[in-house]
Amino acid sequence: MMQHLFESLQHNSWITGMNSSPWISAFLEVTHYFSFFVLVGAIAIVDLRIMGLAGRRQSATRLAEQAFPWIWTGLCFASLSGFVMFAGQATDYLHNSIFHRKLLVILLATIFGAWVQHSVSKWDQSASMPARAKVVALVSLTLWVGAILMGVDVPAITGVG
Amino acid sequence: MYELLVEFCRWIQSTSWAQAILTSSWAFPYVQLTHFTGLSLWIGTNALLDLRLLGAGKKRQTAAQLSDALLVWNWIGFGIAVLGGFLLFSISATIYIRNPAFRIKLGVLLPLALLLHVVVQRKACAWDQEDTPMTAKLIGLAELTLWFCVASAAVLIPYFFGPADLQ
Repeated sequence: MMQHLFESLQHNSWITGMNSSPWISAFLEVTHYFSFFVLVGAIAIVDLRIMGLAGRRQSATRLAEQAFPWIWTGLCFASLSGFVMFAGQATDYLHNSIFHRKLLVILLATIFGAWVQHSVSKWDQSASMPARAKVVALVSLTLWVGAILMGVDVPAITGVG
Repeated sequence: MYELLVEFCRWIQSTSWAQAILTSSWAFPYVQLTHFTGLSLWIGTNALLDLRLLGAGKKRQTAAQLSDALLVWNWIGFGIAVLGGFLLFSISATIYIRNPAFRIKLGVLLPLALLLHVVVQRKACAWDQEDTPMTAKLIGLAELTLWFCVASAAVLIPYFFGPADLQ
């Protein structure tokens, strides 16, 4: 079933059209990298602020409110461009366990990101950041670094991409 | 002058650390991880400030406050990115030095973007009002565009690899 689905995705004329053009492929790649950097950099600074390691002169809530719209914008662009690149070689990724792990890590990191966004104003009300907040921020940060590692491991170890 | 540069590239490629990364079965992805983690911090914090200067998105902090909150990790990110980038360069220095996309990235786009970034950072502490002036908007847009161009040049590097480079 999956094999069939992935094959028809890979042979979709839009997907083959975009991936066979070197200019569109390069544009997808730049979009993927750049929006991912914005996503990870922006969430990292919020996590570091919660951990007490960045911008302590500013309120964590305000920094989070400033950053989160761009975090989710970055995630949208990175996912869309990533999906088109994946679709062009969909069947190669079907049994690629590092790629599956990468998606899982990103899913977990996104959940932790949403958790930070949801709770930061509550955490910010106490005199100092609660220990639980720091743990959530550290896990979020670690998961995103893990996502980069999985991302570079896919081509480096499996040769796909 | 160019001969000297090529000689330097040959030397750097023969250093023990470059050889260690090249022959290791696991080191390369971690060097890439270093470069990309640094870049995430650098580009992410640059983009947040540039977008705020542009007046796009939320205005929960002024450009001056945001710049103050980002400054330290912005430059830590740059340091990490340069370290990772230098290691990536050193394992294939002689190939990179003749690559047109790499030359444009390192020789033209990166110095320009860095120069503009220092200007942005010096100016940002004066922009402490909710709405940024036109100069701030233009300079923010210019910096964001320049970093996108730097990333584009980097992505194009493998597109210029010849058959001899891939051996």
